[in-house]
Amino acid sequence: MNRRDFLKHTSLGAAGLGLMGLSLPAVGRDTKNVRLTILHTNDMHSRIEPFPDNSAQWAGMGGMARRASLIEQIRKQEPNVLLLDSGDIWQGTPYFNFFSGELEYKLMTQMAYDASTLGNHDFDNGLEGLKKQLPNAGFPFLIANYDFSQTILAGQFKPYKVFEKAGLRIGVFGIGIEMQGLISDRNIGGTKYLDPVATSQSMVTQLRGPERCDMVICLSHLGYKYESAKIDDHKLAAQVPGIDLILGGHTHTFLEKPDVILGAGGHQTLINQVGWSGINLGRLDYSFEHGSKRLAVASSSVVPVTTA
Amino acid sequence: MQFLRSRVAALSLLTATFLVSACQRGGYQATPQLAPVTAQPVSKTQPEDPKAAATIEPYRQRVTQQMNEVLGVAPVAITKNNGESPLANFVADLQRERASAVLKQPVDVGVMTNGGLRASLPAGPITMGSAFELMPFENELVVLDTPGPVMQDMLNYAARIKMALSNVTYTVGADNKPTNVLIGGKPFDPARTYTIAISDYLAGGGDQMVFFKSIKPRSTGVLLRSAIVDHIRGLTKAGKPVEAKVEGRVKVM
Repeated sequence: MNRRDFLKHTSLGAAGLGLMGLSLPAVGRDTKNVRLTILHTNDMHSRIEPFPDNSAQWAGMGGMARRASLIEQIRKQEPNVLLLDSGDIWQGTPYFNFFSGELEYKLMTQMAYDASTLGNHDFDNGLEGLKKQLPNAGFPFLIANYDFSQTILAGQFKPYKVFEKAGLRIGVFGIGIEMQGLISDRNIGGTKYLDPVATSQSMVTQLRGPERCDMVICLSHLGYKYESAKIDDHKLAAQVPGIDLILGGHTHTFLEKPDVILGAGGHQTLINQVGWSGINLGRLDYSFEHGSKRLAVASSSVVPVTTA
Repeated sequence: MQFLRSRVAALSLLTATFLVSACQRGGYQATPQLAPVTAQPVSKTQPEDPKAAATIEPYRQRVTQQMNEVLGVAPVAITKNNGESPLANFVADLQRERASAVLKQPVDVGVMTNGGLRASLPAGPITMGSAFELMPFENELVVLDTPGPVMQDMLNYAARIKMALSNVTYTVGADNKPTNVLIGGKPFDPARTYTIAISDYLAGGGDQMVFFKSIKPRSTGVLLRSAIVDHIRGLTKAGKPVEAKVEGRVKVM
């Protein structure tokens, strides 16, 4: 039974029950729990091969061929997998200097990445360099707060994408770091940076509203936590209610497990980041239950779902 | 009583159902089921995916080949040391030369610290790999339009560690203050603005060069490593060896 059928069934069934005045608790149990596995990376920095054995740090760690087999292994065990990246795919080894990011995109496409966002280093070859490699990327780049409309990349990126997994709707949007000071002016070109908080708020409204998402994920390249006023993943979680999970990057932060930020109404936002260079693959498993708890929160949404 | 309870329940279900369909679509609750450690190391115990490995292989061969490409030959190793060093002279000079060529204007001074150079250039063949070891960072060559007082800060900084600057000579005494400063052979003029070819890292206040932070750098679009590689290739093309020496840019009294 897919999601829509299930909803239809539930609504009709409930109406019927209501009319007949039967008792109700059975209805809530009619749901089958669905499991979603989220795999993620950030700041892979062109680390195609593992760190050399004589590296001062991380010797022998990482490597995209090994990551590919780890992902494949998990895909064999889990029916619903989303594979995501939080930017800075490029820069850091001669592979990028010599092949301009071609191999990174090709391997990510083979691994069947579902989406990535853009990090500051993904601009290292300018807008032209990015445009040139896009045909090698068989996955979308999601970026909501960079406006490329006045550049050669106009129309190449989407702010968000909704993934359907076992009838669930998973909304994923991307947020990039302020470019000024990090990316040279000539590589920024005519790209405009929009406020991450306001943009994320409108993304949540869109995804929780018209897009009817069951879960909202932000791919962020803002960075984990700054002591200054600079926006980071923690501040974003606190200022934008309604994000379930922020998969971060930029600060190369190694987290063993996600931070949990409690918001208003009991909603919680998880923040995760897995270092850099593909040393780790992040894995978060979610189960989805058709629960009543969510309804209280949901009532703030406004768009009727007449098609359900 | 039983009936009443049912009706209340029915009412609440209808309300709930209405809320489900009218607002939050499914009313699904996403609950993380987390393992104690959610970061999975990608280590040697993990086999390689054959398809990915096969995709990488031809690129790997080309990288190896290109890293072994000989750019030029150095009769003697170009090394770094405290104070004026052959390697810092070599890089600071080529920075100034390249920046002048890109911006099509003479650039007065070149600045490179010993700390920014990560390895010496070996005697004999200098490969692309040598250039990567010397300059692993993706630093860009930039130009700073430096007012006299900031230039004085730079000179004071240099004199403290007896560091040489390209196109500058000076004398430093026991007080660690620079005297007899000549820039391009002319006495330093604090009322002038000097152009400095430098890495974006140092221009942004790196290595404690905080006095540069107020100046907006002019970009050249050239990576420092590319400037080094191009310079060595140019020498080879012109039939010249790769050489640099300490030539008395800093006179210690």
